[in-house]
Amino acid sequence: MSLLDFARGPAIEVALAVFTLGVMWRLISLLGLPWAKDRTVRRAGAPSDFSAGVSGFIRHLWVPKGFGMTSRFALINGYVFHLGLAIIFFGFVQHILFLRGLFGVSWPGLPTSVISIAAVVTLGSLVAALVRRMTSPVMRLISTANDYFTWLITTLPVLTGLLAVSHLGARYETLLAIHILTVAALLIWFPFGKLMHAFLVFLTRAETGVFYGRRGVKI
Amino acid sequence: MSDGNHPGGTIGEALLARGISRRSLLKYTGYLASILALPPMASRAMADALAKAPRQSVIWLSFQECTGCTESLTRSFNPTLEDMIFDLISLDYHETLMAVSGAAAEEAMQAARAANKGKYVLVVDGSVSTAEGGIYSTNAGKTNLATLKDMASDAAAVLSVGTCAAFGGIPHAKPNPTGAVPVSEIVTDKPVINIPGCPPIPEAIAGTVAYIITFGKLPDLDHLSRPKAFFGDSIHDRCYRRPFYDKGLFAKSFDDEGARNGWCLYEVGCKGPVTYNACATLKWNGGVSFPIQSGHGCLGCSEPDFWDRGGFYKPLSASVMGNPAIIGGAAVAGIVAGAASVALARKRRAEALAAQSKASAAAQEKMP
Amino acid sequence: MSEESPRTGMAQSLLREIARALAALAETGACDAIDLRSLPLTGGDRADLETALGRGEVAATFDASGQSEVWETRHAGVWWVRHLGGDGRVAAETIEITPIPDILAAHPDDIRASAAALMAELAETTEETAHV
Ligand code: SF4
Repeated sequence: MSLLDFARGPAIEVALAVFTLGVMWRLISLLGLPWAKDRTVRRAGAPSDFSAGVSGFIRHLWVPKGFGMTSRFALINGYVFHLGLAIIFFGFVQHILFLRGLFGVSWPGLPTSVISIAAVVTLGSLVAALVRRMTSPVMRLISTANDYFTWLITTLPVLTGLLAVSHLGARYETLLAIHILTVAALLIWFPFGKLMHAFLVFLTRAETGVFYGRRGVKI
Repeated sequence: MSDGNHPGGTIGEALLARGISRRSLLKYTGYLASILALPPMASRAMADALAKAPRQSVIWLSFQECTGCTESLTRSFNPTLEDMIFDLISLDYHETLMAVSGAAAEEAMQAARAANKGKYVLVVDGSVSTAEGGIYSTNAGKTNLATLKDMASDAAAVLSVGTCAAFGGIPHAKPNPTGAVPVSEIVTDKPVINIPGCPPIPEAIAGTVAYIITFGKLPDLDHLSRPKAFFGDSIHDRCYRRPFYDKGLFAKSFDDEGARNGWCLYEVGCKGPVTYNACATLKWNGGVSFPIQSGHGCLGCSEPDFWDRGGFYKPLSASVMGNPAIIGGAAVAGIVAGAASVALARKRRAEALAAQSKASAAAQEKMP
Repeated sequence: MSEESPRTGMAQSLLREIARALAALAETGACDAIDLRSLPLTGGDRADLETALGRGEVAATFDASGQSEVWETRHAGVWWVRHLGGDGRVAAETIEITPIPDILAAHPDDIRASAAALMAELAETTEETAHV
């Protein structure tokens, strides 16, 4: 079995299985946990939990006033690579074909040139995010191995995908196999590392909104 | 075709005897230089070298195969330039093509072998059955496995012609009931050149043989022992539809607008990007066309296990699931695990609460 | 794919290559050749090249394991050599920069063989006449 056959077959299959298992397990166990009752008295005029949750999430989409340029840059940079990743993942025809194989649905893709530009921008943006993480004293303090590993696991598919598309460094079948293997690694790491934020970000931000909203604080 | 009586003598002498001028040979080497991607100025030296070289003895064995490979090489019926390969070689034994049969055929093989001991090129088409000692494919009561071992021992080199001989091919496809293996798995002490393809391009077979005779050595081979001159580039590298691939313009089915416009066939399963062969440049039937030019994606027939890569019409980027149920099973397992940890947490909490109320009740009792 | 007629600019770069080789031939006598078959020429490129090179004084056709055409272009020393394979397809096609393409000259081995053959023939006829 060639490396490519291994990547397209068992590797991606096992990775998807681990991903599904892990995500299901974490989401269900998290949502099913008994909640501690908030015993505070709801402040008069406080919004309902639902609207506090939604607005908490929305308010977190932008930097609050009073924060400096660096924070704003970090946030914008975050948007750039998240958007870039989405464009690459959902817009590249080869990826759509992969998704069609899994879910049976497909949609028109973007021109390859657009994807290539998006990939280069995304890569630059990811590097910028890492630089900030490593240079900002606060970020360094709160960063753990989990953060750095998650960064690597996210960046590798972009890098190897770009190499595969431009046929750089090795034969195409090898590049493609490596690319698929990096995606498999991402899928396996996803439920157990910081990547899980893709699901949890909605919960954590809403929960913060609810918690403070009840106390009449907008955060 | 050789009649098998060419002991000794150079190719030049043989040509002269047949009244074929040196011009034909020079033309042929010009053609060879072109297909082998050698500088055109090399053709003169090649012609001189060939004229002095003895005709190469070739013994051709056919194992688990469909004869397509032999058809590919001998497909033309009128004597042409391309047929001059048969002036370069002395096809001393060909199981499928020769007229004699039975004991006479056996004798012919042994005679050819004795006359050219250590010098003949053994060409094999078809894979070698190994299950149950190789009894699934036999000839004259002898297994292919035994014949191969026997005949390879006196060969100068072995040429595995076609994907079956080179990589096991269709007999090797799952579940491989005959235990088919490629020739290179049996012959390990002799140089083995693979010329895969289902069938292989005739120019690749003839060109490789001609190269060995002309230069007296094996051509440059890639990591799968394929001559780089023919298998150095992927179909995709040389595909005329490549500009459409680069732009992301794909035919979505075989009769849609994109297909009519000649767009890239990636979405309908083309394996060109991972297939190394010369179809896109040499093409087929003497340069008439090749599958992609005729509107069908590349099947990847010159690559190992092309038969088991999850379907000819499955795009290369789609995954090849052995069993999608595994994912469903994983989802169920995840749900069960989640529910179990929830139950565990709730149980602990209930226990803690119970213990707490018990403790506080006890404390109250103690109170005066 | 002769049905395609777009130009890739290949004809122009080939002409420059030919000019360079021809200058070398004039100066040092070094011969050169360009294999057209292995180049991705479109029908349009090929037509452009043929027009640009034109036809000179010499043209030859011969049959040696298939038809061949050789002609000198309007530039002395630049020859177009085309060999046809089975079914009249082009099997090999080169531009040769040389005083005379190898393929036209009789090969020494052929000359030796035909000298011997002619001698033998004459000897036979002389013998025959002697017997009359
Ligand atoms: S048709 Fe196949 S070989 Fe040609 S460009 Fe598309 S994917 Fe590549």
